[in-house]
Amino acid sequence: MDFGFSPAEHVFADYVRAFLVERPLDSFALDGMDAGYGSGAHSRAFMKALGERGWISMCWPAAFGGWAKPMFFKLVLFEELALAGAPFGPLAGSWQTADAIIEYGTERLRREVLPAVARGEATFWQGYSEPDAGSDLLALKTEARRDGDHYVIRGHKIWSSHAGIATHGLVFTRTSREARRSRGFSMFVVPNNTPGMDIRPIRSLTGGVYHYEVFLDDVRVPADLMLGPEGEGFQALLNGLDSDRFWGRFYKAPALERVLRRLVDHANTTGASKDVGLRRRFAAMAAEIAALRLLFYRAACLLRDGAPISYETAVAKVYADETGQKLARLGMDVLGPWAPLRADAPDAPLGGDISHAYLTSLGHTIAGGTAEILRTTVAVRGLGLPAEPRTA
Amino acid sequence: MDFRPSSAQQLLVSTAREFLKKHCPPERRQQLALDARGFDDALWRRMAELGWQGLLIPGDFGGSDGSLLDVILLVEEMGRAGAPGPFVPSAVMATLTLWMSPEIEQKKRWLPAMAAGERVMGVALAQDGNTLAVDAHGRLHGRVPFVEAAHVADALIVAARVDGAWRPVVLPTDRRGVTCRPQATIGPEKLFEVGCEDVELVVGDVLGPDDARGEALQAGALARTAEMVGAAQKILELAIEHAKTRVQGGRPIGGHQAIQHACADLVRDVDASRGLLYAAAWKASENLPAAVNIAMAKAYASEACLTVARRAHQIFGAIGYCEEHPLHLLHKRILAASLDCGSVAEHQEAIAYAIGLHP
Repeated sequence: MDFGFSPAEHVFADYVRAFLVERPLDSFALDGMDAGYGSGAHSRAFMKALGERGWISMCWPAAFGGWAKPMFFKLVLFEELALAGAPFGPLAGSWQTADAIIEYGTERLRREVLPAVARGEATFWQGYSEPDAGSDLLALKTEARRDGDHYVIRGHKIWSSHAGIATHGLVFTRTSREARRSRGFSMFVVPNNTPGMDIRPIRSLTGGVYHYEVFLDDVRVPADLMLGPEGEGFQALLNGLDSDRFWGRFYKAPALERVLRRLVDHANTTGASKDVGLRRRFAAMAAEIAALRLLFYRAACLLRDGAPISYETAVAKVYADETGQKLARLGMDVLGPWAPLRADAPDAPLGGDISHAYLTSLGHTIAGGTAEILRTTVAVRGLGLPAEPRTA
Repeated sequence: MDFRPSSAQQLLVSTAREFLKKHCPPERRQQLALDARGFDDALWRRMAELGWQGLLIPGDFGGSDGSLLDVILLVEEMGRAGAPGPFVPSAVMATLTLWMSPEIEQKKRWLPAMAAGERVMGVALAQDGNTLAVDAHGRLHGRVPFVEAAHVADALIVAARVDGAWRPVVLPTDRRGVTCRPQATIGPEKLFEVGCEDVELVVGDVLGPDDARGEALQAGALARTAEMVGAAQKILELAIEHAKTRVQGGRPIGGHQAIQHACADLVRDVDASRGLLYAAAWKASENLPAAVNIAMAKAYASEACLTVARRAHQIFGAIGYCEEHPLHLLHKRILAASLDCGSVAEHQEAIAYAIGLHP
């Protein structure tokens, strides 16, 4: 056992901290809402700064312009950025997409998209959900029809985060009808400026815009923008889910730790810190966040060692989201009557971040696999309990 | 970072699992739980032959030079098997207090015999209900409750006030004036109130400064956490097996989401508790500051493992309510461990202070 970091990891953490001192966070323009996951707001400027340092591509093989750093460097970067409250919103998606392109992308994707990812210029939205395909993703209706050396995509995607400000969509489509329900799906990397796409914002209960819906009206994309083998898209998606859940939530624990620290400071200034009941709730939260961080590091070791994952990332994701909701609830209690003030109210405590976190956290147990779907995954795939019979 | 025990630790764990399966089956645990004495002398000796009681004792004193992390992994297996006996007070807490004390004669007298399984020690290191005090004539008076296995212990290490300050004191149970009154509990642990009336102390009985007591309580808190995690792991395994095999309405109850989601939460509670336990035990074993990690592990696991036990009762239904069913003993074991070596409230207060909340 070893719960410490290696000397190289410590050195890298120091680099990241030095970068954050050298480039203060308020010097970066923000383009999109912070959805509370822990990766902060969407900032093209910040992504470019990460790209300039070489940190987006640092773990890629040298043949793709990377430095072949071990995976744990990404965790160090995530942790330092989240503890600082940096706006690295699109980073996890960029890494995930780049990994898929490196693993099975076409020559064109590797040549055109990958370098832009490394520079922090290309960011991605996920076109998975549809109005009638949420938890039952396979009910999706968007189709891609082959036409010469192109595909023509027609359909309607929804709940796509930052689709209006990202550069490419990962559009999940049906490319053929097959006997097996899970076959015949393919993924495309579609540039946002492709004709036929209508990307419309959905205002959320926070008052801000995070999600978009995307109408694809005979969108023509070159066949070599398909990501992964034709018809096997769902398998690729499933295989990626374990790591998606991991990478999409890893930074939650350090981000919650940051929120907790800010709430401690606030409670100290108001005197709420003396309240025995509140002290116990704070302590329980601190332990929970520490436990959450360790669940993710355990999953990280499994991913690093190529060990099988059966339930670990699903448990970690649910726990991350529910712990975040609990902390936001505690935060509202700590702030008392000031708690509901919005960021634009002059008296808003902690810059209105807690009321915002309270609202955004409501979506976390729904996005990326609902807490219910994931608990079923843990029970059926992880514990071997019998699956509920499918209806229809 | 690496969550895997070393190969030697894996061997220790697998040996312990096999050994306890053979020598401490569920029927035997039930029997000992219901028996008033409830101590298995043969099991204690066999454990000593494997070197378990000597893990925290250096080789020069007849021990096997283990680490605290080794002991934690072993105690987790004991919790999993519901193994009875005062291993944590004797082989962890009393052993550490003695080892850390400057009284070399006491070490020579007790540690080799404890490592060999020939001597058992109890501890009363907490202050709850403790009125023990040494008077001006060097004689011990007062009472201390909740002393595990005092009836089989050859000596106790008790916290007593000496000149107004708490000190660990070695108290042989056969000293004149020492009494032992059983305190019936709902669990399998055998607790006693120890009374001292004008008990003579000799040179070396007072084990020097109080630091050792705090260290022993910390190690005890870790060991009790390991017991809870082990017992909760066993409960999880039993509950999953039950959910797969108990058929109602034509299918296993584990085929219903209500039960599936409950089982998923049990996994989370056990895994999260174990993560905190291992991280804290590793830090303590590496001599890094671990007090807040230990407090987090103990406070968190107490709540989480009790939740596992209570939720498992719901999954098992009526059968889990029976005395012959293994669930209740594991549950009561977790309950006892959660209350020993610092309550949830005490550990949470330690955390609150450590994260910077002004008192």
